[in-house]
Amino acid sequence: MSKHEFRVGIEVGGTFTDLVASDGYQMKTAKVPSTPSKPDEGAMNAIRAAELDISQIKELVHGSTVATNAVLERKGGRVCLFVTKGTRDILLLQRHDRRSIYDLHYKKPEPVVARHDTYEIKERISPDGSVVLDIDEDHAREQIKTALRDGRFDSAAICFLHSYSNSRHERLLKELIQQEFPSLPITCSCDVTREFREYERASTTTLAAYVQPVIAGYIKRFSASLAKQGFKGRFSIMQSNGGRMPAEAMAKNAISALFSGPAAGVVGAIRGISSAGYDNLITLDMGGTSTDVSLVSGGESKLAPMTMIDGLPVKTPVIDIATVGAGGGSIAWKDDGGLMRVGPRSAGASPGPACYDRGGIEPTVTDAHLIRGTLQADSFLGGKMNVDVKLAQDTFTELSEFFGLPIEEIADNTIRLAEANIVRAIQQISTERGSDPRDFVLVPFGGAGPLHAARVAEDLSIERVVVPPNAGVLSASGLLLSDHIHYRTRTRRLALKDENIDEVKKLIVGLENETADYLTSLNVEGEIEYDKVLEMRYVGQAFEVSVDIKNESINELTTARLSQLFASAHHQIFEFSKAEGDPVEIISFRIGAKVSPEILFANETRLPSVNTPVSRQVKMIERGKELTADLKERAELTSEAINGPVLIQDTNSTIFVPQEWKVSRDSEDNVILIKEN
Amino acid sequence: MGVSPVDQAVITRALVAAADEMGVKLIRSAHSPVVREAQDCSAAILDRDGRVVAQAELIPIQLGSITHTFKACLKYHPLDTLKDGDFLINNDPYSGGQHLPDIFLFTPIFYEKTLIGITATVVHHIDLGGGAPGLNPNAADVHEEGITIPPSRYSIEDDWKGGAFERLIRANVRMPDATIGDLNAQFAANAVGGERLKDLHRKFGGKTMVSAMQEMLNYSERRIRAAISNAPDGTFSGKAWLDDDGNGGDPVLIKAEVVINEDQIIVDFKGSSEQVRTNLNSPFASSVSSAIACIKAVLTDPDIPFNEGAERAISVKIPYGSILNPKPPAPVRARLIPSYRVVNAVMGALSQAVPERVIAPGFDTTSVSCLSHRKETGYNIYLEIFGGGFGAGPNNDGCDAVDSMLSNCSNIPIESMESDYPFFRVEDYSLRSTSGGDGKNRGGMGFQRIYKIIKEDVTFATYGDRFKIAPEGIEGGFPGAKAETFVERGGQKIQLESKQHFSLLEGDRLVVRTGGGGGYGDPKERSRDQKKQDLLNNFTGNIS
Repeated sequence: MSKHEFRVGIEVGGTFTDLVASDGYQMKTAKVPSTPSKPDEGAMNAIRAAELDISQIKELVHGSTVATNAVLERKGGRVCLFVTKGTRDILLLQRHDRRSIYDLHYKKPEPVVARHDTYEIKERISPDGSVVLDIDEDHAREQIKTALRDGRFDSAAICFLHSYSNSRHERLLKELIQQEFPSLPITCSCDVTREFREYERASTTTLAAYVQPVIAGYIKRFSASLAKQGFKGRFSIMQSNGGRMPAEAMAKNAISALFSGPAAGVVGAIRGISSAGYDNLITLDMGGTSTDVSLVSGGESKLAPMTMIDGLPVKTPVIDIATVGAGGGSIAWKDDGGLMRVGPRSAGASPGPACYDRGGIEPTVTDAHLIRGTLQADSFLGGKMNVDVKLAQDTFTELSEFFGLPIEEIADNTIRLAEANIVRAIQQISTERGSDPRDFVLVPFGGAGPLHAARVAEDLSIERVVVPPNAGVLSASGLLLSDHIHYRTRTRRLALKDENIDEVKKLIVGLENETADYLTSLNVEGEIEYDKVLEMRYVGQAFEVSVDIKNESINELTTARLSQLFASAHHQIFEFSKAEGDPVEIISFRIGAKVSPEILFANETRLPSVNTPVSRQVKMIERGKELTADLKERAELTSEAINGPVLIQDTNSTIFVPQEWKVSRDSEDNVILIKEN
Repeated sequence: MGVSPVDQAVITRALVAAADEMGVKLIRSAHSPVVREAQDCSAAILDRDGRVVAQAELIPIQLGSITHTFKACLKYHPLDTLKDGDFLINNDPYSGGQHLPDIFLFTPIFYEKTLIGITATVVHHIDLGGGAPGLNPNAADVHEEGITIPPSRYSIEDDWKGGAFERLIRANVRMPDATIGDLNAQFAANAVGGERLKDLHRKFGGKTMVSAMQEMLNYSERRIRAAISNAPDGTFSGKAWLDDDGNGGDPVLIKAEVVINEDQIIVDFKGSSEQVRTNLNSPFASSVSSAIACIKAVLTDPDIPFNEGAERAISVKIPYGSILNPKPPAPVRARLIPSYRVVNAVMGALSQAVPERVIAPGFDTTSVSCLSHRKETGYNIYLEIFGGGFGAGPNNDGCDAVDSMLSNCSNIPIESMESDYPFFRVEDYSLRSTSGGDGKNRGGMGFQRIYKIIKEDVTFATYGDRFKIAPEGIEGGFPGAKAETFVERGGQKIQLESKQHFSLLEGDRLVVRTGGGGGYGDPKERSRDQKKQDLLNNFTGNIS
């Protein structure tokens, strides 16, 4: 890449819009306030703040919460839903259960399509894909006309029973609609997720159709304003699976943008520290209101097959991330049984923690840090922000009196409870999925992550914490470092038997070709690698276990090998596997084609070491002990480890090194915390 | 005590999370759709004295019975006789259990050779023998309902895993692979909970864990007592009726007297009907759990962890030989129907004490829909549990088409059902748009399910209620619509009873309709906005 041709990642978050740019020699970063009503304006502001010439941008990768907010604020398009006759109320009936079992006033999650916007079509497919009732085309045409005649809908969704097994009727209806209304965007359930369970599939399909007009409009507007300023490069968008897609393809597959924000951070962490040789890590992204944690094994993040947004199921592969309401703004309180708690309620950006003096009157995690001394008043956000310790202390008086403990101790307990909540979230994605946290390093980022990481690690018996450079804008660099990825899933129920193995191989190779062809059709060039996962189960079970066959040679695949891989995956999650020879079946095939980006910062100069220490000492209370800690800048650290307690000021965050820990800086500019034995 | 507030909070959360994890893994590794899709199962962790301290919030009525079934096991197998590798099992309605299909399985957990707690799971099993596949609505006694496993101790290595006890179960049920598969899922979930319990002991030590678990019980007790103290003292009474005793005839009365005295409550069911000859009897543990679940739901916030501590402030008296505390061997399969009238009677009494906290009576019935197909190779049995509309509250419409309060079963997806049970097809699953009782706030709506039978040799079995007596509206609201079931055969409509066994023919359409909930307040006060939405969506309140 020639000098002055930049590659740029822009991540729009709730509070800040972050930018990272690189021309292979130097790196630029920018942080500007987000503009929630028009996120692209914040993005353009970030480009200006970094003093980038738009015509010199070769590649722009973008991540935003546009899709997520469209759902949370119910600001998506108006969707018309077509379903099989007899299933009109599918979105209201849901699964007939309550998520809060003693709540007399229970309310189901609100679907994104209204009952009066749902239309029934006479057709029926059976589970094996055979047609029970041909689609009644005359009736379908009438329904289409009644529904769509006055142009009140922004998009249409189609979800027919058993379409995962035969999609012909969905496609036929799509054609019928297109004949009458050629410009209306149409989403078929078989294109979004080809898996059984009609409510979950209908929910996913309607959500896709709901956010589609918003995403398409946003990308169009953003592309236009980029073009106006002379942008000639490639424009791509982050997906929930941690890979990117060219913007024009994303406009047609909006559902995969729903959870892209946390995904970019995970990719940033993986790629950010891989050069130092780490590939088993747990990421810890702690911001103002919540913490996202995720597990990365062998340099690969795990994908979860399903997730929820605002109570509505979404069946699409997303990076397996657990979120817990523990952030800098989380509020400490006691419940009416006298149990102390922290979060999930947060003071957020407004009013914010009490010490900001912006009207906050409840005690928060940030206030607690200030009282303990693990955050220092005069160096808050690099000294750019004034905070008031007295205001922080006042908010803790009530809890202090109730528990009969000094304010400092309550503040200390507040931090410990917030950390315990994060520990629980990490156990959810490690221990509960059969992975031992001790086999991983902890990688904290976001404003507050590095402050808590060592103690969280300790509670999980993790002995090493790695804080990557630019931890505050890691998500934006994750965008630049992400692969182009395209996934396809096919449901095909096959018994794991020797006579089926050729069919299995054929399906895998077929999907490899399909995904590769798709990337090629989007002009994505480069060497293609494949993710290959089979969803398998014991005959009689309803939930599948993901079996990773990425490293298997497809030509040499045998039933014996597959059954061995399945048994060990099953045992890892459920602590048991059945006797050899118990019948096993494959339910679906998931193949992802990936193309990696060029190496980014190859020639970048690293942060030099500062030889003259400028450190001073600060007093703090931590885990019940009074301590005196050194206060240092990141640049003061060298490869020679020093003993905690140390507080390290970094560009956008503070790293805390407890007493029994050592800290150093490696050749890749990562800050390394190691627990002493 | 001596446990710091922070350790206490950490251990509490960890134990609740462990119980939740047990529930999730139980559902994900189970075989029968009634567990893996409908989620008719529960999980809990007990302390070393056998008291429930943490539970996965799945099915309220099952959770309430875990304590009772475990205590019954201890009578024969005291704690100090338990060994690592043992398990305890019990499904006996007359030893703390619910109805026979709910099997309670307990695994004692040892750490460094000391008993540190017990993990427990309950699963509704699809078939445990008896006079008819899945459900025998005509059973005259509990023996015709299936096999009873009295409170017993066995060894996992010797008696399960192909051992004599496993073979005994296998020989007495109609779908042995499903039953053994579901029991194995229970064993596995108990083992997972055991691992988590051991991890916590390793980290915090036995002494801290014992105190922390003790405090969890005290904590729930304190919160329940605080809630009861906020209600006015006094003696209040309520009544509710079942349609009939299962053989037609007059309505059957459930009567509750609720005494609130400072921070405790005594509920007395004297005056309730004698036990009946059909399966509409509620065993003692069911009746007690229902009364407590209702008091908790009305008086406290949904977030109070429900454990044995919560029960200390409430005592329940029930005359022996009544429909709420029957003598053996009375059949009990449909026990949730009288249990729901317990809820209605207790809530009726509480409505006089705390009118602002109650809701109108809802459909409040468990309707069972069981279809079985006899093939040459054996049976295939489908069973699903249906709720209907919740009663409306002072500030909200009742929840539509959802399982009733004491249970929390999911539906089975149509796509899963048709694949597992190829002898029928679902032609319709929709809201009954005129079934919610009209009112300022409308009662929840019931729903309709239509099955088209596409094979010979299919039988339908059911129990339900609210076919004759609708749930009343309150404060000027109207009653919810009643339930009904019928078969369309040729041009003919065959009306079915609420409790019945019926042989179906290929081509029949079986129509099951569940009822709505009662409305709250005068419909004239319903807001214009809501009325507009009702018109758009074609929802009409029931006024009959």
